[in-house]
Amino acid sequence: MPNENYISLSELQHRIKGAVETALPMPLWVAAEIAEMKVNYSGHCYLELVEKAEPAEGSRRRADAGAVPRAQARAVIWRSQYAMLSSYFEAETGSRLEAGMKILARVLVSYHELYGLSLQVVDLDASYTVGEVERQRQLTIRRLQADGVWDMNRETELPLLVQRVAVVSSSAAAGYRDFCNELRGGGYAFAVTLFDAVVQGAAAEESVVAALCAVAERADEFDAVVLIRGGGSASDLSCFNSYRICSYVAQFPLPVITGIGHDKDTSVADMVAHTALKTPTAVAAWLTERMARSEAWLDESARRLREMTEGRTRMERLRLERYAADLSHGAAALAAACRARLDLRREQLAGAVQRRIESERQRLAVAEGVVEGCHPRRIMRMGFAVVRRDGVALTAASAASAGDRLRVELYDGALEVDVAASDTEKRA
Amino acid sequence: MAKKSATEKLTYAEAAAGIEEILSRLRSEEIGVDELAREVTRATELIAFCKGRLYDAETAVSGLLAKDDAAEVK
Repeated sequence: MPNENYISLSELQHRIKGAVETALPMPLWVAAEIAEMKVNYSGHCYLELVEKAEPAEGSRRRADAGAVPRAQARAVIWRSQYAMLSSYFEAETGSRLEAGMKILARVLVSYHELYGLSLQVVDLDASYTVGEVERQRQLTIRRLQADGVWDMNRETELPLLVQRVAVVSSSAAAGYRDFCNELRGGGYAFAVTLFDAVVQGAAAEESVVAALCAVAERADEFDAVVLIRGGGSASDLSCFNSYRICSYVAQFPLPVITGIGHDKDTSVADMVAHTALKTPTAVAAWLTERMARSEAWLDESARRLREMTEGRTRMERLRLERYAADLSHGAAALAAACRARLDLRREQLAGAVQRRIESERQRLAVAEGVVEGCHPRRIMRMGFAVVRRDGVALTAASAASAGDRLRVELYDGALEVDVAASDTEKRA
Repeated sequence: MAKKSATEKLTYAEAAAGIEEILSRLRSEEIGVDELAREVTRATELIAFCKGRLYDAETAVSGLLAKDDAAEVK
């Protein structure tokens, strides 16, 4: 006999529906995380809400990446409400509703015989999400500080010239194109290598970490890493506040330069990066500016070097000219002194020669006078005569006797005379 | 003419010594008339020779000193 004590499935579902609706008649505020989200063709938004175990502070990063859901439920935002709620949420938080977000939703619990339990979202408290993002941010900051890695990337040395750039970004993103255009416009040569990554949504964290790891493996090929977000109007910073990404950034072996593209808030990635700039374009402009500064410095150094060299050369030339002038002056003075001395000596010499010659002349004049005085012709002009016998000059009267023929030479001729007498005895 | 060539190879000092010697002999009065004429002629030649040498020396010295001046101007 079959047991007649049973109810139909629809009866059961009907009873559950009644019990649920009795127990939870009014909408409730529920905190949860969006695990999945899909807006279908008709404009209704279907969500998968979860609650994950909160990771303990300071736990290893693997733990929160793979947190196991503790509770899960389907939810829906009907089209009529979705437009209003999503625009309100975006205006308040600056982010679109998307997977990975923590939200506080006012839900009406309903139960459908065919589809089971479902939560109908009738309202959202955006301030919870804002607070949750901030709480997550603060948590990340505290963990990084506790790890002792907070300042590590800022302590890496950025080369003077950053030319080999690894870019972590989405290849399709407008921000990456802006970055490349700005770099090209700057006129300096950069070697840009893209490490493609998803930078928005639930997959962002894993994707950015994978890209950073790929860069790290080739770290010696690059001067710096540029982390830029792929553009788009909405600014979901959650992945740049994530502990995993920020921990990688902080401990990255190369300087990290961020251009995440937001103005409301600073992400934790910006805080731990070596240099944080507002936009991808700003990063490119900054890199170009550094090159320009280095170039300007080189130009300035070259100019100063030239100036100093010229100044020095001018100074040395003047000094040499002064030396040359002194030298020629000194040489001229010395030469003049020598010349004066020589002139004096020459005059002395000339004087001495002249005196000597004069004294010789006088001696000769004296001798000449004496010789002139002794000349026989002169003596004969005075009346003296030379008396010869047979050609021999007589010097005494006694040498001749009467009758001798003698020759008497006078100044203008000679006479032949005969001696008439000799009176030698008388005189004697 | 033989006498002239005899003075040609003399130095000024030898010529001057010759003059002095002749002078001292003239003063000694031990000289004959014929010898006297020879000696006077000889002395006159020597004196002319010495005068010439003096003139040459004077000209040469003043020439040298003038050349020195010219070199300095350069």
